[in-house]
Amino acid sequence: MKTTQTIFQDGDHKWVAIVRDPARPDYLVDTNGYLVTHGGQGMLVDPGGLEVFPAVFSAVATEFDPSAISSIFASHQDPDVISSLALWLEFNPQMRCHISWLWASFIPHFGGNASTFAVIPDEGMAISLGGLPLQAVPAHYLHSSGNFHLYDRAAKVLFSGDVGAALLPPEHNELFVKDFSAHIRHSEAFHRRWMGSNEAKRQWCERASQLDIDLLCPQHGAIYQGKDVQRFIDWFDGLHVGVLRA
Amino acid sequence: MTEELTTTPRTEPKGSALDLLHIVRINEEIKAVVAVAFKINIMALNAIFLAKRAGTAALGFGVLSNELRSFSGQLRETMLSLNGLIHDSVAEVSVLLLDSRYSGIFAAAAAQAPSSARMRAVLEHRESRTAEYRAKLSILRRSLRSSVEDAFRLVELGGVLAKSAKIEAAYGAAFSVSLSQVSSESDGIVEEIRGSLDTLRKSRFFRG
Repeated sequence: MKTTQTIFQDGDHKWVAIVRDPARPDYLVDTNGYLVTHGGQGMLVDPGGLEVFPAVFSAVATEFDPSAISSIFASHQDPDVISSLALWLEFNPQMRCHISWLWASFIPHFGGNASTFAVIPDEGMAISLGGLPLQAVPAHYLHSSGNFHLYDRAAKVLFSGDVGAALLPPEHNELFVKDFSAHIRHSEAFHRRWMGSNEAKRQWCERASQLDIDLLCPQHGAIYQGKDVQRFIDWFDGLHVGVLRA
Repeated sequence: MTEELTTTPRTEPKGSALDLLHIVRINEEIKAVVAVAFKINIMALNAIFLAKRAGTAALGFGVLSNELRSFSGQLRETMLSLNGLIHDSVAEVSVLLLDSRYSGIFAAAAAQAPSSARMRAVLEHRESRTAEYRAKLSILRRSLRSSVEDAFRLVELGGVLAKSAKIEAAYGAAFSVSLSQVSSESDGIVEEIRGSLDTLRKSRFFRG
């Protein structure tokens, strides 16, 4: 089973990281999912793949009533992000999935129908969760051509999908970045290869720098907090991406 | 542009998904009981202190308060064991939901390719795996039901203790009002837990 850790809480407004399954087979990339709760409702952020559904579901159930999860936010179309959609919908057919308009007719290959999807236009949009305003922030081409991050102004949390991801060796399984210089070594090759556009990267760095962020939460690896957030943005800004090999 | 979530009625969960919904309900109820059960320990401690202050007038009340405290410890242990079983059941039903998804897709493929021997073999293999998962879940279901019944019986005993404490409180002389108050609160909490466990015993999960 994955473990859960509350990374932000103010009353019933919470961000819970769903991370690190010791039983995960080596051939599956490790993923971080997140649960946001507010006003008695929950939103799953990048809930993960089909194969990890039992581990994610069990972990979520220890923390929050899964039947109160009203929506899913999928940063992009990858299988490790959203291939579990059909199972969440079987559990609660009323759940809605927020995703880029670009993927609205591709994702139903994983599950769902026309009424499942709340498509996000390229410029992003506000999403309400039990009265809490969240913002879908454009991150196109980082790495997917229709890609969004999720910003919670009240919690000062930016869910950053694959941006900030690190493929950590098993012995480095801490939830938060402790030593930026040591950590970023595990990010570099990933960002060079997976992030497809230097121009899109530049725009994202400008956009992210204007947000007030305490926690930058990627879909793989450890969470950046405090000064490490801007440190990461600056590092990313200076990185040449879209390169086959470093 | 703001997207406010609306709940559009679609189909209701069925099969393993419905099982998962039922076990989630049980899980939520257990979480609530665990939170409430914690209060009994504190109340029993309060009752013990009060009984000591009341001295000989509350000897019987003191004995019952000690029993209530011991009951709260047993209740906590029972709830922890229930929590473990619930957790295993949630995990097992999630696996079954995943399994039934795969099986449904293979069954649809087999229906469209009835001549494929390999597909039939795949389906047979899946069916035997599904039967294994179901057998495992069935054992968990029985254990869980039995644990819920044990917990219910324990709480019924707790209810008798709390009610006896209420009666003893009347003999507490100058302390009878305080003793009555604390014993009534304990009784209320035990009744609340009893009600929750009674609901759990009737869960549709146990009919599967």
